[in-house]
Amino acid sequence: MSFSPIFCHCFRKLVNLSCGCFSQFRVGTYEDIGSIVSSMIARATLIKRLHPIMESMLAAVIGLMIGAVIMLGYGYNPVAAYGSLFQGSFGSLYSWAESLANATPLILTALTFAVAMRGGLFNIGAEGQLYVGALAAVAVSLIHLPSPIHIVMALCAAMLAGMLWSLPIALLKLTRGVHEVISTIMFNWIAYFLALYVIAHVLTDPLRGEKTISIVETSRLARIVLGTTLNYGLLIAIIAAVAVLFVLWRTTVGFELRVSGHTSVAARYAGISHRRQILTVLLMGGATAGLAGAVQVMGRPPTYAVLSGLPQLINLGFDGIGVAMIGRNHPIGIIVAAIFFGGLMAGGRVMQFSPGVPLELVRVVEGVIIVTLAVPELRNMLGSFRRQFAKKKVYDGS
Amino acid sequence: MEVEHLWGILFISLHAMVPITLAAIGETIEEAAGLFNIGLEGILLLSALTGALGAEISGSATVGLLAGLGTGALIGGIFGVISTYGRGSQLISGVGINLFAFGFVAFMLINLGAPGFHSVPRDVQVKMISLGVGSVSPLVFLTVGLAIAVYWMLRRTQLGIRIRSVGENPAAADVAGINVNALRLGTALAAGAFAGLAGAYLSVDWFGAVTKELTAGRGFIALATVVFSGLNPLFALLGGFIFGFFDGLATWVSTYPKIKDIIPWQFVAMAPYIVTLLVVAGVIGRVRFPAALGMPYRRE
Amino acid sequence: MKVFHIRLAAVLLMVFAVVAGPLVGTAAAAGKVALVIDVGGRGDLSFNDMGFKGADEAVAKFGMELVEIQSNSAADYLPNLQNAARSEAFDLIIGVGFLLADAMAEVTDQFPDQKFAIIDVTWLGKPNLQEVGFEENKGSALVGALGAMVAAHYGYDKIGVVLGIEIPVLYKFEAGYRFGLHWGNAKYAEVTGKSAEVGLLWTYTGTFSDIAKGKVATQAMLAQGAGLIYNVAGPLGIGDLEAITEHLEAQGKSAGPPFMIGVDANQDYLGDGHRVLASMMKRVDYGVYSAIESVANGSFKGGVRILGPGNGGIAISRQQDLGDFIDFGIKGGAISESDRSQITANWQAMRAAVPAWIWEAVEELEAKISSGEAKVPCDWCADSIKAIRAQYPD
Repeated sequence: MSFSPIFCHCFRKLVNLSCGCFSQFRVGTYEDIGSIVSSMIARATLIKRLHPIMESMLAAVIGLMIGAVIMLGYGYNPVAAYGSLFQGSFGSLYSWAESLANATPLILTALTFAVAMRGGLFNIGAEGQLYVGALAAVAVSLIHLPSPIHIVMALCAAMLAGMLWSLPIALLKLTRGVHEVISTIMFNWIAYFLALYVIAHVLTDPLRGEKTISIVETSRLARIVLGTTLNYGLLIAIIAAVAVLFVLWRTTVGFELRVSGHTSVAARYAGISHRRQILTVLLMGGATAGLAGAVQVMGRPPTYAVLSGLPQLINLGFDGIGVAMIGRNHPIGIIVAAIFFGGLMAGGRVMQFSPGVPLELVRVVEGVIIVTLAVPELRNMLGSFRRQFAKKKVYDGS
Repeated sequence: MEVEHLWGILFISLHAMVPITLAAIGETIEEAAGLFNIGLEGILLLSALTGALGAEISGSATVGLLAGLGTGALIGGIFGVISTYGRGSQLISGVGINLFAFGFVAFMLINLGAPGFHSVPRDVQVKMISLGVGSVSPLVFLTVGLAIAVYWMLRRTQLGIRIRSVGENPAAADVAGINVNALRLGTALAAGAFAGLAGAYLSVDWFGAVTKELTAGRGFIALATVVFSGLNPLFALLGGFIFGFFDGLATWVSTYPKIKDIIPWQFVAMAPYIVTLLVVAGVIGRVRFPAALGMPYRRE
Repeated sequence: MKVFHIRLAAVLLMVFAVVAGPLVGTAAAAGKVALVIDVGGRGDLSFNDMGFKGADEAVAKFGMELVEIQSNSAADYLPNLQNAARSEAFDLIIGVGFLLADAMAEVTDQFPDQKFAIIDVTWLGKPNLQEVGFEENKGSALVGALGAMVAAHYGYDKIGVVLGIEIPVLYKFEAGYRFGLHWGNAKYAEVTGKSAEVGLLWTYTGTFSDIAKGKVATQAMLAQGAGLIYNVAGPLGIGDLEAITEHLEAQGKSAGPPFMIGVDANQDYLGDGHRVLASMMKRVDYGVYSAIESVANGSFKGGVRILGPGNGGIAISRQQDLGDFIDFGIKGGAISESDRSQITANWQAMRAAVPAWIWEAVEELEAKISSGEAKVPCDWCADSIKAIRAQYPD
């Protein structure tokens, strides 16, 4: 008799931790029938939570098969190609390292989008925010500090820069009601040209004018696996994800944020959200995006600087959107989805070697996989939201 | 600045307006019904390719434009099916469409012989209409006409009311007897067709070629224009023009010798984006979207 | 039932992954070359395409196999090179473009027994690396001189240059073009006795992919009286040419002036053969070809090779190149086989319309540059470009 409530409690905590939609349950009252009912629902929920993961995998397989048909059509051997893909993404230590290295910035930019989504906003400004974050990290290399402090300073500067870039978005929304879709797109472009200017004229490397000054040794993130590009940026990304998980699911602020984001599911696009929530999610998003830029520049060999045209940073923000959606806007899901994306990228590289599948075709296959992933997605999210609605109505009588 | 220059910039603005506005008009119809397609960029690029090929193979610019329109409708239709009957995530499928398009077009360009670009022969490009001070493409007039037509359709016709009701409150619309998913699918097809026409315009008219990055972010500018316009196609026309004007002005003016001493080109290039923001912040303000935007509809 | 299907799919997936891995072996063939390109990728109509062209020709000639590897983002450079080197299947790994410099520096140290080559980089200095640099500034000088004289001859008082992103490599083009412009002006005054101070219009569009900017910049320059536009922005040349073509059409003409000058590859065949006056050819194909050749015949050694006007690395397009690149254009869909004779005829007429002394003057400049009598800035002018702009003003 006394065992069951403890079991329920632990189980519920596990479920809570791995999926956010159960915030309605008060962790506390479990003396009576409520506990048995809740434990049953919790168990059903867990299975229901794993179900969509399987569905996503099925979608991925379907996508891969369509890709195989396309490849066959152009005379490439899909078995060899996919063999290369898996070999290159998860087939050896090097491959794993590269996949994780690719995933690192994606985790961070996906968090930007996901956090905003949870709060009911549509923040696609990660691109611009990560550019300024990268530049801020480079700027910190102008001063000389001992190693761990220097890294911390650079990361803080990057987060600050990212937040400064997302602040106007929030302010424009709060004061003039400007929808974040348009303001973020505009700010992304403004950041791009600003970055080009800074690279060419402000932080220029005097010896090689097509890049900024290099990140100083004391500010670089060490490599985890030698001979690959995997570095401790991964750790930073994971810490950020855990931090977001904590804030959103374990604090009152986060709780309110998620509820207000859910209050009217369709309102997320109409932009109805509370003032503090808007500021919070956009600033958090700016911080993680800034970190993404910093981590790429401070950790990813071999350049350790920002190149003109921003080839190491371009598209990380947009790819993050895809990662966030496939990761269901949840930090754990995001980490998994980012590794998946990163693996596709790493494996795609190797596909070019053997059997010589061109990179363009790899992108085609990636696109098909993502489109097929779209389908099972919302069915379950919708299902849980509806239950959410019904329960809310019952509990608050609203 | 001489008068000739002003005319030059004006015509450039009109031509730059066409793809942005066309795609925005189409997306407006779609968003009015509650669908949000972030894959416009991909549709633009794919239709640019098919439009170019269609024009070459048939020898006629019009067929090329129609080919692009058809491609757009097809992709829009796929997106529509996933979003309505498939109850899929609109954002993910949109992102997937973009990725697919970029890979596919680049891949097809390789197979067509010269990776990265494909020129459209001069004689199958759309003929310009000479107006004395410069020549303008007939598609400019078509765009203006379509903007007016769609505005009228959305505001003044039964169909428009139905579309907007589906976007606001699909459950109520369903009860009233409207087939929500079918109507939404229709708007998705329409939006795709508009974007397809815009894409074909890029290759068969404005640039006369297809390259793998032809669209240069115009799909996203179109999305921003939809927000700018508050789902009003006439404002989309204005927004597209403003953007095209400042974008063209920025590039034009950056060739003037004296300008470089005053302001670096990077800041001149920011002009269209800053101006758009200022206009939205200062004049347009809050924009109201349909209540059911982005959510698939499931009958209870 | 549904759960069963899902489980089945998952199991199949895993089995596939495990089994397929070892199926992919690295087939070690005799004579294999890897070509690693930067994010620009194929289809830039110039630089990277030339690299491919050279590689294709070389492997065909020497019976080797070519693997082409493109990069999605700058983060791919090092892994791509490392993957290639780690596989130990390649006799030569070539990196195309200065963006790969840092990655190449690291990977050449990591794999000292692997042969590497790189294009457009000359400062690394590794024993197993052959570095090939080009003197684009000298070629641009030739084109600038040509442009000034031709523009003056046809009565224009400006020539233009449309550049891409503001990077030091492009400063070389700009600097050389300015030098050539001033030399051409002086030469014109010397020969004809008339002074025609042709001025310069220039802009960095900030992109190598948005064709609209090339078109608008060109339209602006044409409106300001430019008689010649030099394209230094890859695919934007399409936009430049479109602007020139429309400009001419509005006047009821189809042949220039105004003309365009192509870059890197021979782009003369574009514009029906009479709108692109010449191209500043940067023979990246030759650079890649000779690198592969040196490996094929065993003469490979590390070090720097500078290719310029004197040794076939840089040249202004000539008739013998035209036929070659018409083939290229046919594949690109710009022209068809039936156009070949028309284009060649147009081209010859266009060139003949320009007075012979101008062509001779260009050759004279080429000789002076080769002998060292004429000093063209710059080798690398990241910090000196401002001074050069002051020295050779617009």
